Amino acid sequence: MSLVGPSGSGKSSLLRAVIGLQKPLAGTVETGLAPSEIGMLFQDDALLPWKTARENVALGLIFNGVEPPRAQEQADVWLQRLGLAGFGHRFPRHLSGGQRKRVALAQVLAMTPKLLLMDEPFASLDAIVRARIIQEVATLVERERISVLLVTHDLEEAISLSDCVYLLSQGPRAHITHDYRVPIPRPRDPVRARMHPAFAPLYEKLWNDLSREVDRDQRAESTV
Amino acid sequence: MMALNPRHAWLRQLAALTIVLMVWEAAGRGHLLNPLFAPSPSQIGAALVDLFGSGRIWPHLNATFTEALAGLLIGIVVGIVLGVLAALVPLIAELIEPVMTLLNAIPRVILAPVFVIWMGIGIASKVALAFILVAVLMFFTVYSGIRQVDRKLVERIVTLGGGRWELVRHVYLPAVASSVLGSLKVAVGFAFTGACVGEFVAASRGLGYLLSFAQSTYNTALMFALILLILVVVLVIFGIAGRLEKHLLRWN
Repeated sequence: MSLVGPSGSGKSSLLRAVIGLQKPLAGTVETGLAPSEIGMLFQDDALLPWKTARENVALGLIFNGVEPPRAQEQADVWLQRLGLAGFGHRFPRHLSGGQRKRVALAQVLAMTPKLLLMDEPFASLDAIVRARIIQEVATLVERERISVLLVTHDLEEAISLSDCVYLLSQGPRAHITHDYRVPIPRPRDPVRARMHPAFAPLYEKLWNDLSREVDRDQRAESTV
Repeated sequence: MMALNPRHAWLRQLAALTIVLMVWEAAGRGHLLNPLFAPSPSQIGAALVDLFGSGRIWPHLNATFTEALAGLLIGIVVGIVLGVLAALVPLIAELIEPVMTLLNAIPRVILAPVFVIWMGIGIASKVALAFILVAVLMFFTVYSGIRQVDRKLVERIVTLGGGRWELVRHVYLPAVASSVLGSLKVAVGFAFTGACVGEFVAASRGLGYLLSFAQSTYNTALMFALILLILVVVLVIFGIAGRLEKHLLRWN
């Protein structure tokens, strides 16, 4: 499930409300999940610089009562699953941007969340690394049956990864104006999904609707 | 031009130093230098040998070390405590920060005469001077170290299920430790400055006292010997602090 919308429509705030970093001004957030069942992947890979990759991944497990030696073992398993076998002893400073993103991902996935929130998680990566990580995330998420709520500016990313895309209107008082079903079957490869016949028409529709939202905002500005 | 191998830089530096010392020595022996102003390296060496040979130096070294290390230790502890309190309690920050800013702005060694009047010419006034030099430095290091902790790190820990204690243990404590270690070398220098200046002002023992004695008796060989000795002492402690820093901040 993806959430797209113009800047300032409150996409990030919504995610922050879901995970409890921010209290909604009105209303409540219902997920039916315990806080430990929700994981969040941020845009920045905010790893603790003074802990190794392994220690960073083990952190969430330790917070949730796993014995440190067991947590470290599990951390190694997750690092391996994300292609970082042998990098466990490295400090974040000595990892590349893509590797740090993988560590951050391992850290969240190690908690085996039922719901994964992602706030433009791949924006800072270069194209190839980004495509690869997106592929890996898609595979892992499908295999582990994790629900994902993705906030993104990238419509291609939104369509190729989701079953359902929601468009938020221009803020303030943003609301969901459209929702779109993505008819591309699963399991799917997010790179190949772009070649599916349903992709281009959906992309165009989303693009037009989003443009209209952004234009509406500019008209509002010019009348002021 | 010939390319220099950077790995042999120390060799070239050593050679240059040797030449300078030899020229200096030759100039001294040829009566080109007034020994009252610039004693030759051999005279300085002789003064050093005499200091250690006669055992006269030990009580002075002992005094300076005790003062500097006591001031350093108390200064670090008090600086950390005040820095942490100010970072966590806004009221304390409001009250302490202007005082610290003021103390930071003045050359704190001007407090030396005050401390001598308050605490006498014994060890206490030197410890106090070393302390105030170190404490102000540590306060700002820790205070800004905690305030500059990345909000994102805090949020990350919270979303992983960490509470207050986990935040202190995994985010704030390491941040404090790294800022303290980062300025440990400067603090060591400050502590010895405080001790020596304090002794220089009024004391009955210590390297600073000996230095002021050498000055008043125009014993320049002794003066240079002491300067050299203080230099070596601080370099050794710098080395130890550097090792500690390198080991504990190896993630950086």
